[in-house]
This record gives sequence, C-alpha cells and structure tokens, in this order.
Amino acid sequence: MRIVVAYKWTCDPEEATVSADGTVDWSRAKPGLSAYDPVAIELARQFADGTGAELIGVTVGGKGVGTPIAAKAALGRGLDRVVIVEDESLADAGRSELAAVLAEVIRHIGDVDLVVTGDSSVDVAAKMVPTVLAAELGWPAVAEVTSLTGQAGALRVERAIPGGVQVLGISGPAVLAASADAAAPRVPGMKDLLAAGKKPVELLDLTALKVSPRSAVMTVTGRSRPERKARKGQLIDTSDPATAAVELVAALRQASAL
Amino acid sequence: MSVNAWIVVGDQPTVSNLITVARSLGGTVGAVVAGPRSVAETVAASGVDKVVWCSAPDDVPAEANAPAVADAVAADPPRVVLAGRNPGERVLLGAAAARLKAAVLTGARSVIADGDGVVVVNAVFGDIAEETVAVSGPVALLLDGGSVPPADGTGAPVEEISAPPLGLKVIETRTHGFDEVNLGAAHRVIGVGRGLKAREDLAMIEELARALEAEIACSRPVAEGLNWMGKDRYIGSSGAHISPELYLAVGISGQLQHMVGVTGAETIVAINTDPNAAVFSQADYGLVGDLYQLVPAVTAALK
Repeated sequence: MRIVVAYKWTCDPEEATVSADGTVDWSRAKPGLSAYDPVAIELARQFADGTGAELIGVTVGGKGVGTPIAAKAALGRGLDRVVIVEDESLADAGRSELAAVLAEVIRHIGDVDLVVTGDSSVDVAAKMVPTVLAAELGWPAVAEVTSLTGQAGALRVERAIPGGVQVLGISGPAVLAASADAAAPRVPGMKDLLAAGKKPVELLDLTALKVSPRSAVMTVTGRSRPERKARKGQLIDTSDPATAAVELVAALRQASAL
Repeated sequence: MSVNAWIVVGDQPTVSNLITVARSLGGTVGAVVAGPRSVAETVAASGVDKVVWCSAPDDVPAEANAPAVADAVAADPPRVVLAGRNPGERVLLGAAAARLKAAVLTGARSVIADGDGVVVVNAVFGDIAEETVAVSGPVALLLDGGSVPPADGTGAPVEEISAPPLGLKVIETRTHGFDEVNLGAAHRVIGVGRGLKAREDLAMIEELARALEAEIACSRPVAEGLNWMGKDRYIGSSGAHISPELYLAVGISGQLQHMVGVTGAETIVAINTDPNAAVFSQADYGLVGDLYQLVPAVTAALK
C-alpha cells in the first residue's frame, strides 16, 4: 500500500506586509511547512505504521519547495521519501492547476491507494486543491477527517459534520483532508532530522509530467489593500476592574453598540 | 437555452446568495443538486431556471455524486459554477472545476460579467489584499451560500439523473451534543480564546453572554484541539466570518487568521492580559488585565 501526503512549503500571511497599492511583500516572511500539514503527516504516519504502507510526501510549487531544507523539514515529520516538482511557473498557479500537477505526480508514483492533505493551507486557505485533485484522479474526496482506520480498499473514516461525527466506509482509493485536530503531530528531534537527511528526495521536471492545460486563463489586472474599518484603539484604565467595566459599558452605550 | 451559471448544491438548500450572484451575471441559471430530493425541490422553487437532481441510494453522501454533478455541468458548459462554503459543496465544485478545467477562486468580493468571461475582485492570503482577476474561460467560485431562499412561486422543472456514485457509504452518524449555532445571525458575539484556563470557566463567559444577550464563539484552538465547543463556533479565515454589531474578544491574542473573521464587526472590544497582544491594535476598546477579574466586572456593570 502506498499513501501520499500532499503538503505545502509556504509562508504565513501574518508575516507578510501589504503596501497601499495592494502589493504583498513576503521578503520578511520565513517559509515553512504549512501549519496543518504536520497533522496530515502524523495521521497518515500512524495509519501507515498500522498497515505497513509506504508513506510518500508530495509537494509542487515555485522556487524553494525543492530545497534540501524544505525536503528535510517534511521528511523529519515521518515521511519515507518525497517527490517534488519545483518550477517558477507554479509560484502563482491557481488551485485548479496545482491540483492537476499533483494528480500527474501521483500517477507518476503509481499504485497510490490514498492521499492525505492538511485541513487548509496557511497562505491561501481555499480548501479546494484536495477536491479538484480527487476529481482529477476520479476518486472521492472527504474533508474534516478526524480518524482513519481500516486498510486499502476498505477504509473507515470519521469526519466532523455540523452537530456531530459521521462514519464513512470507502471502498477504493480516496483523497482525505485531515481536520486540524485529527492527530497530535510529533516534534522532530535531532535524530529524526539526521535520518531525514538520508531519505530519498526525487525532483521531477514539470515539463515531463504532461499536465493538461486549463481552459481558463486568469489575468490579474489590479491590486488593492482592502479598506478596514478604522478602530478607535481606546485603552480603558483597568487598575480597578469594576470602574473599568462601568466605563466600558458607558462607552459602548454612547457608541450605540449596546 | 444554454446555462450561463450552474449552482452546485449538497445537503442544504442554503443558496440565496448564490442565486443572487448567478442572476446578476444574466442568462440562464441552473442548479445541480447532489443531496436529497427535498433540497432539489426547495431550490427549484427559489427562482432558478432549471434543476438537475442526482438520485442515489440513501446511504450515499452527497460527495459520492461528484461525477454526476460534473456530468450535468459539462453537458451544458457554463461561464461560472457557484457553490457554498462547506465541505460537501467544495467537493462538488472541485469535481465541476476539474471536468471544465476551470479556474477556481474562493475569495470573491464581487463578480461581474465581461464579454465571454468574468471579472472577479478576489481577496487573497487571509484577506490581507485583493486582486482584480479577469478570467477568460470557465470559473468555479466558492462563496458564502446564504440562507434558504424563499419560494418565488414559479417553480423550475426538476430533471432526475443518475450515475454510478463513488465508493462512499455512510455507516453511522453520531451527534456530539454541542448546540448548533448560526453566528452570522447574532447581533453580539463574545469570542473566547486560549486565555481561558479551563473548560469550567466557560460558565463565567456564559453569564456575560446572558447579560449581553450575545452568542458565544471562539478562536480555532478552542473548538479544535481543546474541543470545548462545536466547530461551527470558531471564527477565522477557515471558520466563520461574522459582522455583528459588537464583538468582544476575551483572551484572544488577535492573530490575523482569527481577526479576519471579524473585520466586519461594527465595534470590537478586547480583553487580554498581554498589553502587546495584536488584538488591541484592531479593537475600538481595549482592557488590559486579568479576564477572570474583568469579565465578572463587565457582567455586573451590565446588570
């Protein structure tokens, strides 16, 4: 059995700055494994350990995703090997295109039974790449997965739904997006990182993958920084909590917020 | 009459906003429903021109009908496909997008028709910036679905199709006991963060909520990880986006991923022990101090 974890090496928008003309400046942001991907790797690792499966990390993206430091960060979390497509043209690729490239990488690997992803990426947070990927592969997609048991061809998956949990049986290959709390990711130690340095890293050339072109072309014709409501930023002295509370309530009444 | 916009629908007919956006683009509006027949009938009565319903056995979740949805959309290729922001509809939208090789945009603030294409103002990177994107070719848009639309009296025909579903079956559904909530409808909301030390301390927040006539919400770790509340109560870039009259952030640091969910709030109050917490720069009123003293004091002041 082969399990792929599709992960992302990217920056947190919290570390980006946006100029008045809407240009996003990432120069001070430090790239890393996207926030929820360690959860996906851990969930898949535990399942792979239980089933004797091979666990392969896959990422596709722009410059930097194939660097040794990026590969090692992912491998150190418990992947057996990684397959990476690094291509400048993918830096600004849309969800649909990234999913199509991922699908080709998964076909290239061959005999993959299951793809696991994180809940959402820290930068885009669209939660759409797993769903388009599943459709490209002709597999079902299930999101908000909190638990994964069973075996290839007979998976038992629990997913969060409004008001509770649903247990699903899946009879073939599938793409599963783990919920953010599906597993507690391990913190890689020195030993894991040393071992990661020795694990196989396969770099694929995008042009060798025969990704079918998209029918839609997106052109960015303008950028802006969204107008935010101006906030008062008024600090209320809290040396006496009761007085502070009365002052707050009065201020809220005056502002017609109560 | 070819379809200009397809709306894809899962288990809930919460599509009022999708119909409004689809109508604004002109032309014929179709809906493909992968959920129960009753959902298809509600959507058919809500002002769309045609409805395709994918019939499937009862134990098959809506997502398993993704191929049928893609078939229906591809049989009459549209300019746009629209879906609401929930897990099931994301899957159906992804299936349609993959089949059409469409562009996918998830942060649309406005959509206008432009020749054969559309122009979308799209929020990116946790809403820190907006891009105006001209799309030529089909585009799949993930939007806030809205509410259940009122019946408009006309009633569109419902065409039934069936295609072999994907290998997914519902084995069991369990409720977790948390009350469901519609945060979007609340005028006042209290957001609880990790500054709250123990689950029992929610009683203190509930008392404030009663005095304030507010709903209780939270930051992501409180719903996921700590599991103190249902997931429908967490606010943020991948959770609820709300615009209440008053948002009171208690023990919340003010990370971008949380605050983006409340930028539309009329008034924001922050209570936090850390004077350097980012939340204070995004609040109208800030109280630096111990929430265990300040929350009961505010409750008392309201009574």
